[in-house]
Amino acid sequence: MRKIAVIYSGNAPHYRTFHEPKYAQFIDQLIYHPDFADADLTPYDVLIVPSQLNKTMLLQNAEKIRNFADAGKTVVAFGPQPWEWLPNQKWEERPTNFWWWLDQGADSGLRVQNEDHPFYNYFTLADCTWHQHGVFWPPEHVTTLVSTVDGGSVLYIDEKSTKGTWVITTLDPDYHYGSYFMPATERFLDNLFQWLSVGEITRS
Amino acid sequence: MSLLNILELSPSHAFGIHEQANALPYRTVIDQYQLDQIDLTPYNVLYITYFVDQEYLLKHKEIIARFLDDGKVVVFCGHLFRKWLPGASPMMPKEIKSYHDYRVQPVEGAPLFEDVKVEDIVYNKGVAGFFARGYYQPPKHADICLTFTDGKVITYIDRHTTNGTVIVHAGRSLLDYTKSNKTTDKIGSQMLALLEKEVAKEGVR
Repeated sequence: MRKIAVIYSGNAPHYRTFHEPKYAQFIDQLIYHPDFADADLTPYDVLIVPSQLNKTMLLQNAEKIRNFADAGKTVVAFGPQPWEWLPNQKWEERPTNFWWWLDQGADSGLRVQNEDHPFYNYFTLADCTWHQHGVFWPPEHVTTLVSTVDGGSVLYIDEKSTKGTWVITTLDPDYHYGSYFMPATERFLDNLFQWLSVGEITRS
Repeated sequence: MSLLNILELSPSHAFGIHEQANALPYRTVIDQYQLDQIDLTPYNVLYITYFVDQEYLLKHKEIIARFLDDGKVVVFCGHLFRKWLPGASPMMPKEIKSYHDYRVQPVEGAPLFEDVKVEDIVYNKGVAGFFARGYYQPPKHADICLTFTDGKVITYIDRHTTNGTVIVHAGRSLLDYTKSNKTTDKIGSQMLALLEKEVAKEGVR
């Protein structure tokens, strides 16, 4: 079972999400963001970097997060990431369509990619479907698991840009579940913690 | 000329990039973690929003208490879960069984939501749930501005717990309800008007 650490911003959505008992039982350590620079990450296998973190503190600690990955470990990054700190990051912000599901014959615009990946032993596309705040255009070597119809990446795994594994998504279930909005985000998190704890994160 | 001198604590988060576009000349925005380093003397309103680090505010709650002791105004728009705001108790999430449970009702004669249509508050392009999903148990003598239809309080003003004024809203920034071409645009301007009125009281300037 992997040891999971989470950066905790002290904001209300993160308080709810990461203190929720069914998720907290998977979390070995919540690391309060202002304490992150001094935290010892060696005991942990997975580091979750939530959405909506303080920009200054995030960028000050980006090298520490990259060093964690370079030790052969896994970093999971959520949500819109308008500041460049992820490996080979190419983020495109897009207007958020909260209302797509009201249209007749509604299409979320999301598509499954690499459906034989072990990720899909845990998730369905419906679990990943609420809305997106943008897409990534990652390097060709990554494994995109959820894309937009026009090929933007909404969730991908990058095993080659660094010595570690990066699970990167534009989705922000940590915020929505914690703010009592968007029920699909709960299904996403239910699956996420089991997958990260005991699942095959990569094909290897 | 406005009497207002608002100091807003920015969580410096990703969504905040757009929120800061609504900056006003008398609205100074600093990173939240500068609160314990800045001289608050020039400011008469401390404005705190949804994504703020409440663990940090709890650690520095005496700064907020002193600000209120000076007769000034503290606004919090969000889900309170730490006890850093005098008189305010934590937010309770609303039980939602249908979208009707998101329906709100302004209190007649109260500021902020006058002439704002309930439909415009509750629905965003026909979808409910964006505006408020939790409620507060306000302190005794607080003035209630907005409730759910079951009476649970979304927005209140507390002028009694401290020498100053505490305004609490269980949602996103009230000042930033602008430019949506709905009657909710009045919330932003009526919030400014309320703050003007509060700071105009003797001793606040």
